[in-house]
Amino acid sequence: MTAYAPAAVFFAVAGLAPLVVRDAFLLDSLVLILIWGAAAAAWNIAGGYAGQVSLGHSAFFGLGAYAAALCSTRWGISPWIGMVIGALIAMATGFAIGFLSNRLRGPYFVLATIAFSQVLLIGASRWRGFTAGSEGIPVPFHAGFWTLGIADKRVWVWIVLVLAVLVYLVQVYLERSRRGFQLAAVREDEDAALSLGVPARRLKIAAIAVSAAFTAVCGALWAQYVGFVDPAYVFSVDISIKFSLAAIIGGLGTALGPFLGSVLVTTVETYLRAQFGGIEARFVGIYLILYGCALILMVRFAPQGFVGWIGDRLRRRSVAQATS
Amino acid sequence: MGPAEIARPAPLHDIPQLIVSTILLGGIYALIAVGLTLIFGVMRVVNFAHGEFLMLAMYVAFWAFSLLRSDPYLTLVVSLPLFFAAGWLSYRAVMRPVIQASHTVQIFTTVGLSIALQNVALVLWTADARFVRTDYYAAIVRLFGAAFNVAQIVAFAIAVAATAALFAFMRWSYTGKLMRATAQDRDASSLMGIDTDRVYAVTWAVGITCVGVAGVLLAPIYPVYPTAGLQFVLIAYVAVVLGGLGDMAGALIAALLVAAVEVVGSYVLGTSWKEMLYLLVFIGILIVRPAGLFGQRGAEALGT
Amino acid sequence: MSLLSIAGVTKRFGGITANKGISFDVAPGELVGIIGPNGAGKSTLFECISGFHPPDEGEVRLDGARLTGFSPDVVCRCGVARTFQKLRPFQGMSVLDNVMVGALTRTKDVRHARDQARGLLARVGLTEKADSHARTLSTGQRKRLELARALATQPRVLLLDEVTGGVDQRTIPGLVRLVRDLHAGGLTLLVIEHNMRVITAVAQRIVALHLGEVIADGPPEAVARDRKVVEAYLGQAYVQ
Repeated sequence: MTAYAPAAVFFAVAGLAPLVVRDAFLLDSLVLILIWGAAAAAWNIAGGYAGQVSLGHSAFFGLGAYAAALCSTRWGISPWIGMVIGALIAMATGFAIGFLSNRLRGPYFVLATIAFSQVLLIGASRWRGFTAGSEGIPVPFHAGFWTLGIADKRVWVWIVLVLAVLVYLVQVYLERSRRGFQLAAVREDEDAALSLGVPARRLKIAAIAVSAAFTAVCGALWAQYVGFVDPAYVFSVDISIKFSLAAIIGGLGTALGPFLGSVLVTTVETYLRAQFGGIEARFVGIYLILYGCALILMVRFAPQGFVGWIGDRLRRRSVAQATS
Repeated sequence: MGPAEIARPAPLHDIPQLIVSTILLGGIYALIAVGLTLIFGVMRVVNFAHGEFLMLAMYVAFWAFSLLRSDPYLTLVVSLPLFFAAGWLSYRAVMRPVIQASHTVQIFTTVGLSIALQNVALVLWTADARFVRTDYYAAIVRLFGAAFNVAQIVAFAIAVAATAALFAFMRWSYTGKLMRATAQDRDASSLMGIDTDRVYAVTWAVGITCVGVAGVLLAPIYPVYPTAGLQFVLIAYVAVVLGGLGDMAGALIAALLVAAVEVVGSYVLGTSWKEMLYLLVFIGILIVRPAGLFGQRGAEALGT
Repeated sequence: MSLLSIAGVTKRFGGITANKGISFDVAPGELVGIIGPNGAGKSTLFECISGFHPPDEGEVRLDGARLTGFSPDVVCRCGVARTFQKLRPFQGMSVLDNVMVGALTRTKDVRHARDQARGLLARVGLTEKADSHARTLSTGQRKRLELARALATQPRVLLLDEVTGGVDQRTIPGLVRLVRDLHAGGLTLLVIEHNMRVITAVAQRIVALHLGEVIADGPPEAVARDRKVVEAYLGQAYVQ
């Protein structure tokens, strides 16, 4: 059980922070860290645990965002329900993508996922009648819990914390359960797994569908929090890359990794936006340059991410202690 | 403005115009696609940063023109060795360490490179679109009842020459033979004493040189901005997958097909849905016949 | 009554016919050796039986029920397991976890699967290596791991592809003993083997393939002296 102590500490700190911290900027960062962390963890279910690396997850994020936004603006339905609808649509889309792309491996799969997300981007940008086109949808603020009109950032922290813990637990389940073992086998060597009776196809599709659903929930919450849905942003490849980057930095295929990765990624991004956002928009690109370099360096030098690095250190220390 | 507009400077509705536009466009797409497929064929790596090198070449042409008054076709002479060197260096620095690594690692390496390069351009040169307007830009030539820009014709001619040179190189030169051998069987090649590392370096550098040339050729015709590479590289991916990854001749034919789809598509549907069309075609190919028209069936499932 | 029946299996790859009308039956409890020079189509036959490459013509039946056309995982769950010629352990997982993947096909309980896996590791002699990473194993140990993993799926028929290939001489007797024990326990085995001494020692019956066709099918001594078999391996000059 001690293996889960770091995660318990992480979530406890996140949960208690709003009681102690007053600064709006810090609370805002915490909300974003948890949302992007949850999204990265959702991505990790497909990319890390099932080995289905996708760079099109923004498709699901955007679907969730639009579902919530459209539900509240067009039909006056609570964004909570919109979130569920978004999750269901995303899950169905995930099933479809998983089913159709089943034969595709590696870079072929990545290209397919990117293409899917860009189709949605263009569709959302052009379908003026339904989605208000490329101008995006401003999400109006109607105070109240049912309408997710919450001004108090502390409550936001707790709402997204629930989501974060949920996705974390799903990952833990994958590590310990029968399906998790089978999924790990599929990730390592799909054909060998098949020869042992592992229903690889079903598992991959299920992983993508679950991953899609949670990503959509993140999108829905994010849309309500930020208050604006811009198709060029929510369906962008940049966001898909952000999910994967956070997971990789923290530790691909580990349960806490995506959250730790999100701490770093979100902090750097928020800091740079704050520094340069005012002066000249182009300098905000600096954080993306850092993302790019981080990706190149991480996959080469630390493929196990931060969590793996710490795990390594602990193992070496225990070996040293045992031999001394 | 999309390529189809520029290919039709005057509203002519003739078949000859469509055919000519297709061929002119196809020539340039072919050069980009062939470089991409070459890299995959020999190294088994999908270069997600291909479009960014194209974009950098466009900027090279722009800055040479803007600061040195150098005509793009003159810049071409410099850009060829420049991009070969850039390719060689980027291979050594970025690709070589991960050449034996898993797909995931390679994918994120080139994706990382892609974002980094895009945003370096953004930070250095802003998102403003730049234009290379040479004196002869607006000159129009009329042939066979069709009208086209001088810049396009020259771009096409040079692109064809470059592609032909590449095919000749692959077919008859010693290095080309080494590259083809490595493409067919990496392990056997290294067992036979072929320095696969060298082959990879040359392959990557040649692939980058292709876009280095293509970018300079495109600068006088299209606006230059940090994400300019994306629209072309999307087309290149479609052509490469359609032709069968690794198949140079396939990529060439597929590039022409894609150009035809673009020209006819824009003509019939209008340009705003053009990208959607490519994407749907692309997804369609990946689902129905991922190995492409000419590729080996099942290649995509082997992942090697 | 045959357990595994292969009827008219034909498989083409482009211009090459790797398997041409292959037919033979395997009785329950039989150990059949499959021999043939390189390119004879032995591994292709295994691919067809195990569902990786559905045959273009012909059928494979297990206890009368059709196996052809089903995906490999279904074939395994029906009771046909296989090992690979090019060993494929799950590198990132421990030896025990590797075997557990196989065990989890038959049981939903992770703890139960773990116990079963330990039992199998003991049977193949890999108990000390249970918690080591699969990639730290020697070739001989990997062969045992492949075996344990496949056995964990509780197969009725086991397809062994070159179990002694690439292994040094000293480890062969141990592997042969293992195969013998499995057979003695009642398991039905199809064994592809290049080593004639090994296969004639364990097999009750040998099926010889050449250029995709069955050229001999019978007891080891008879097949070893069969004219067509000698010709296939050594060439016409050696036929008496």
